[in-house]
Amino acid sequence: MEPEAQVTVGETQAATGNPPEMSDGPFSTRQLLRIDEALRLADHGTGLVFSIFVGGLDEPIREHAERLHRQLADPDKSVLIAVSPNQRQLEIVTGRHARKRIPDTYAKLAALSMVGAFSGGDLAGGIINGLDQLASHAGKG
Amino acid sequence: MSVTDTLLVFVGIPAAAVLVIGGLAYASSRGRGGGGSAKRYRPGRPFDFTPVWFLARPEQLADSAGTALAAGAQAPALSSRKQEQADREAPASGTGGASDRW
Repeated sequence: MEPEAQVTVGETQAATGNPPEMSDGPFSTRQLLRIDEALRLADHGTGLVFSIFVGGLDEPIREHAERLHRQLADPDKSVLIAVSPNQRQLEIVTGRHARKRIPDTYAKLAALSMVGAFSGGDLAGGIINGLDQLASHAGKG
Repeated sequence: MSVTDTLLVFVGIPAAAVLVIGGLAYASSRGRGGGGSAKRYRPGRPFDFTPVWFLARPEQLADSAGTALAAGAQAPALSSRKQEQADREAPASGTGGASDRW
Protein backbone atom coordinates (compact mmCIF):
# COMPACT_ATOMS: atom_id res chain seq x y z
CA MET A 1 0.00 0.00 0.00
CA GLU A 2 1.23 3.42 -0.91
CA PRO A 3 1.63 6.04 1.79
CA GLU A 4 -1.39 8.27 1.88
CA ALA A 5 -1.15 11.13 -0.54
CA GLN A 6 -0.99 14.71 0.51
CA VAL A 7 -3.84 16.76 -0.84
CA THR A 8 -2.47 20.17 -1.55
CA VAL A 9 -3.60 23.57 -2.62
CA GLY A 10 -0.85 25.12 -4.63
CA GLU A 11 2.14 25.70 -2.47
CA THR A 12 0.45 24.58 0.72
CA GLN A 13 1.55 21.09 1.49
CA ALA A 14 -0.71 19.29 3.85
CA ALA A 15 0.72 16.35 5.68
CA THR A 16 -1.09 13.92 7.89
CA GLY A 17 -0.17 14.49 11.48
CA ASN A 18 3.26 16.00 11.01
CA PRO A 19 3.83 19.63 10.05
CA PRO A 20 4.19 20.39 6.35
CA GLU A 21 7.71 20.20 5.07
CA MET A 22 8.69 21.75 1.81
CA SER A 23 11.62 19.45 1.38
CA ASP A 24 9.66 16.23 0.96
CA GLY A 25 7.96 17.19 -2.29
CA PRO A 26 9.60 16.96 -5.68
CA PHE A 27 8.75 20.58 -6.54
CA SER A 28 10.21 23.91 -5.55
CA THR A 29 7.97 26.67 -4.26
CA ARG A 30 8.11 28.45 -7.59
CA GLN A 31 7.06 25.30 -9.43
CA LEU A 32 4.22 24.70 -6.97
CA LEU A 33 2.95 28.22 -7.58
CA ARG A 34 3.04 27.70 -11.33
CA ILE A 35 1.22 24.38 -11.07
CA ASP A 36 -1.41 25.97 -8.84
CA GLU A 37 -1.89 28.79 -11.34
CA ALA A 38 -2.14 26.35 -14.26
CA LEU A 39 -4.68 24.24 -12.38
CA ARG A 40 -6.81 27.22 -11.48
CA LEU A 41 -6.75 28.54 -15.04
CA ALA A 42 -7.62 25.13 -16.45
CA ASP A 43 -10.52 24.64 -14.01
CA HIS A 44 -11.81 28.14 -14.48
CA GLY A 45 -11.53 28.13 -18.27
CA THR A 46 -13.15 24.78 -18.91
CA GLY A 47 -15.54 24.14 -16.05
CA LEU A 48 -13.98 20.71 -15.68
CA VAL A 49 -12.05 19.66 -12.59
CA PHE A 50 -8.41 18.93 -13.22
CA SER A 51 -6.25 17.23 -10.66
CA ILE A 52 -2.70 15.98 -10.64
CA PHE A 53 -1.27 13.08 -8.71
CA VAL A 54 2.49 12.60 -8.51
CA GLY A 55 3.64 9.51 -6.68
CA GLY A 56 3.80 5.78 -6.79
CA LEU A 57 0.90 3.84 -8.28
CA ASP A 58 0.15 0.22 -7.46
CA GLU A 59 -0.08 -2.43 -10.10
CA PRO A 60 -2.18 -2.55 -12.16
CA ILE A 61 -1.39 1.09 -12.72
CA ARG A 62 -4.38 1.97 -14.87
CA GLU A 63 -6.83 0.58 -12.31
CA HIS A 64 -5.14 2.47 -9.50
CA ALA A 65 -5.36 5.71 -11.45
CA GLU A 66 -9.04 5.10 -12.16
CA ARG A 67 -9.62 4.41 -8.47
CA LEU A 68 -8.03 7.75 -7.58
CA HIS A 69 -10.22 9.36 -10.23
CA ARG A 70 -13.34 7.91 -8.60
CA GLN A 71 -12.37 9.52 -5.30
CA LEU A 72 -12.90 12.96 -6.77
CA ALA A 73 -16.15 14.72 -5.99
CA ASP A 74 -17.53 14.63 -9.51
CA PRO A 75 -15.65 11.95 -11.44
CA ASP A 76 -17.70 12.45 -14.60
CA LYS A 77 -16.49 16.00 -14.96
CA SER A 78 -12.97 15.37 -13.72
CA VAL A 79 -9.66 14.82 -15.42
CA LEU A 80 -6.92 13.13 -13.42
CA ILE A 81 -3.32 13.26 -14.49
CA ALA A 82 -1.43 10.57 -12.58
CA VAL A 83 2.35 10.54 -12.83
CA SER A 84 4.43 7.73 -11.40
CA PRO A 85 8.08 8.70 -11.79
CA ASN A 86 9.39 5.42 -10.41
CA GLN A 87 7.44 3.33 -12.87
CA ARG A 88 7.97 5.99 -15.54
CA GLN A 89 4.28 5.84 -16.27
CA LEU A 90 1.76 8.55 -17.03
CA GLU A 91 -1.99 8.02 -16.91
CA ILE A 92 -4.63 10.52 -17.94
CA VAL A 93 -8.12 9.55 -16.78
CA THR A 94 -11.10 11.49 -18.11
CA GLY A 95 -14.60 11.10 -16.74
CA ARG A 96 -17.64 10.30 -18.85
CA HIS A 97 -18.53 13.93 -19.44
CA ALA A 98 -14.95 15.15 -19.64
CA ARG A 99 -14.23 12.54 -22.29
CA LYS A 100 -16.64 14.25 -24.68
CA ARG A 101 -14.67 17.47 -24.32
CA ILE A 102 -11.27 15.81 -24.44
CA PRO A 103 -11.31 12.81 -26.80
CA ASP A 104 -8.81 10.06 -26.13
CA THR A 105 -6.75 11.03 -29.16
CA TYR A 106 -6.13 14.48 -27.72
CA ALA A 107 -5.40 13.06 -24.31
CA LYS A 108 -2.81 10.88 -26.03
CA LEU A 109 -1.30 13.93 -27.72
CA ALA A 110 -1.02 15.75 -24.40
CA ALA A 111 0.45 12.59 -22.86
CA LEU A 112 3.09 12.46 -25.57
CA SER A 113 4.25 16.01 -24.92
CA MET A 114 4.24 15.47 -21.16
CA VAL A 115 6.27 12.30 -21.47
CA GLY A 116 8.77 14.20 -23.60
CA ALA A 117 9.32 16.70 -20.80
CA PHE A 118 9.41 13.99 -18.11
CA SER A 119 12.12 12.06 -19.89
CA GLY A 120 14.21 15.21 -19.71
CA GLY A 121 13.63 15.35 -15.96
CA ASP A 122 11.22 18.28 -16.11
CA LEU A 123 8.23 17.11 -14.07
CA ALA A 124 6.67 20.52 -13.42
CA GLY A 125 7.12 21.77 -16.96
CA GLY A 126 5.56 18.64 -18.42
CA ILE A 127 2.60 18.83 -16.08
CA ILE A 128 1.96 22.49 -16.83
CA ASN A 129 2.24 22.00 -20.60
CA GLY A 130 -0.03 18.97 -20.50
CA LEU A 131 -2.62 20.84 -18.44
CA ASP A 132 -2.52 23.71 -20.88
CA GLN A 133 -3.00 21.40 -23.86
CA LEU A 134 -5.88 19.53 -22.27
CA ALA A 135 -7.57 22.71 -21.11
CA SER A 136 -7.21 24.52 -24.40
CA HIS A 137 -8.65 21.56 -26.25
CA ALA A 138 -11.59 21.26 -23.86
CA GLY A 139 -12.43 24.87 -24.59
CA LYS A 140 -14.92 26.99 -22.69
CA GLY A 141 -17.35 25.14 -20.50
CA MET B 1 60.24 43.68 7.41
CA SER B 2 61.39 40.64 9.24
CA VAL B 3 60.99 37.16 7.82
CA THR B 4 58.02 36.51 10.10
CA ASP B 5 56.24 39.66 8.90
CA THR B 6 56.86 38.75 5.27
CA LEU B 7 55.52 35.26 5.77
CA LEU B 8 52.43 36.58 7.58
CA VAL B 9 51.59 39.12 4.89
CA PHE B 10 52.36 37.08 1.77
CA VAL B 11 51.30 33.62 2.98
CA GLY B 12 49.04 34.08 5.99
CA ILE B 13 46.64 36.63 4.50
CA PRO B 14 46.12 34.83 1.13
CA ALA B 15 45.66 31.53 2.95
CA ALA B 16 43.05 33.09 5.25
CA ALA B 17 41.22 34.58 2.29
CA VAL B 18 41.16 31.26 0.45
CA LEU B 19 39.84 29.47 3.53
CA VAL B 20 37.06 32.02 4.12
CA ILE B 21 35.85 31.98 0.51
CA GLY B 22 36.07 28.22 0.27
CA GLY B 23 34.18 27.80 3.52
CA LEU B 24 31.41 30.14 2.40
CA ALA B 25 30.99 28.31 -0.92
CA TYR B 26 30.88 24.94 0.81
CA ALA B 27 28.38 26.11 3.41
CA SER B 28 26.02 27.58 0.83
CA SER B 29 26.08 24.47 -1.33
CA ARG B 30 25.34 22.30 1.69
CA GLY B 31 22.60 24.62 2.89
CA ARG B 32 20.62 24.37 -0.35
CA GLY B 33 20.70 20.61 -0.33
CA GLY B 34 23.57 19.91 -2.66
CA GLY B 35 23.21 22.98 -4.83
CA GLY B 36 19.42 22.68 -5.12
CA SER B 37 19.65 19.49 -7.13
CA ALA B 38 18.55 17.17 -4.35
CA LYS B 39 14.88 18.10 -4.78
CA ARG B 40 14.85 17.40 -8.47
CA TYR B 41 13.54 14.34 -10.16
CA ARG B 42 16.07 12.80 -12.48
CA PRO B 43 15.03 10.03 -14.85
CA GLY B 44 16.49 6.73 -13.77
CA ARG B 45 17.09 7.81 -10.19
CA PRO B 46 14.69 6.52 -7.54
CA PHE B 47 11.86 8.91 -6.77
CA ASP B 48 11.32 8.76 -3.02
CA PHE B 49 9.31 11.90 -2.42
CA THR B 50 5.99 11.96 -0.61
CA PRO B 51 3.13 11.46 -3.07
CA VAL B 52 1.32 14.73 -3.77
CA TRP B 53 -2.16 15.30 -5.11
CA PHE B 54 -3.01 18.70 -6.49
CA LEU B 55 -6.52 20.08 -6.76
CA ALA B 56 -7.44 23.65 -7.54
CA ARG B 57 -10.14 23.37 -4.88
CA PRO B 58 -9.63 20.67 -2.28
CA GLU B 59 -13.36 20.53 -1.55
CA GLN B 60 -13.69 18.80 -4.92
CA LEU B 61 -12.48 15.68 -3.22
CA ALA B 62 -15.43 13.39 -2.56
CA ASP B 63 -14.96 13.43 1.17
CA SER B 64 -17.08 15.31 3.65
CA ALA B 65 -13.97 16.44 5.50
CA GLY B 66 -12.86 18.37 2.44
CA THR B 67 -15.96 20.57 2.35
CA ALA B 68 -15.26 22.11 5.73
CA LEU B 69 -11.87 23.41 4.68
CA ALA B 70 -11.25 26.95 3.61
CA ALA B 71 -9.00 27.46 0.64
CA GLY B 72 -5.40 27.15 1.65
CA ALA B 73 -6.17 25.22 4.78
CA GLN B 74 -4.64 21.87 5.35
CA ALA B 75 -6.69 19.14 3.81
CA PRO B 76 -6.52 15.71 5.39
CA ALA B 77 -5.33 12.82 3.34
CA LEU B 78 -7.96 10.56 1.94
CA SER B 79 -9.71 8.62 4.63
CA SER B 80 -9.56 4.90 4.34
CA ARG B 81 -13.35 4.80 4.42
CA LYS B 82 -13.52 6.70 1.18
CA GLN B 83 -10.87 4.52 -0.40
CA GLU B 84 -12.79 1.39 0.57
CA GLN B 85 -15.92 2.90 -0.87
CA ALA B 86 -14.16 3.63 -4.12
CA ASP B 87 -12.87 0.08 -4.19
CA ARG B 88 -16.32 -1.38 -3.76
CA GLU B 89 -17.94 0.66 -6.49
CA ALA B 90 -18.08 -0.96 -9.86
CA PRO B 91 -15.46 0.40 -12.22
CA ALA B 92 -16.91 3.59 -13.63
CA SER B 93 -17.79 2.82 -17.18
CA GLY B 94 -17.08 5.37 -19.82
CA THR B 95 -13.86 6.77 -18.44
CA GLY B 96 -11.35 7.53 -21.10
CA GLY B 97 -7.92 8.99 -21.31
CA ALA B 98 -4.49 7.87 -22.32
CA SER B 99 -1.40 6.16 -20.98
CA ASP B 100 2.20 6.60 -21.84
CA ARG B 101 5.64 5.67 -20.63
CA TRP B 102 8.96 7.40 -20.73
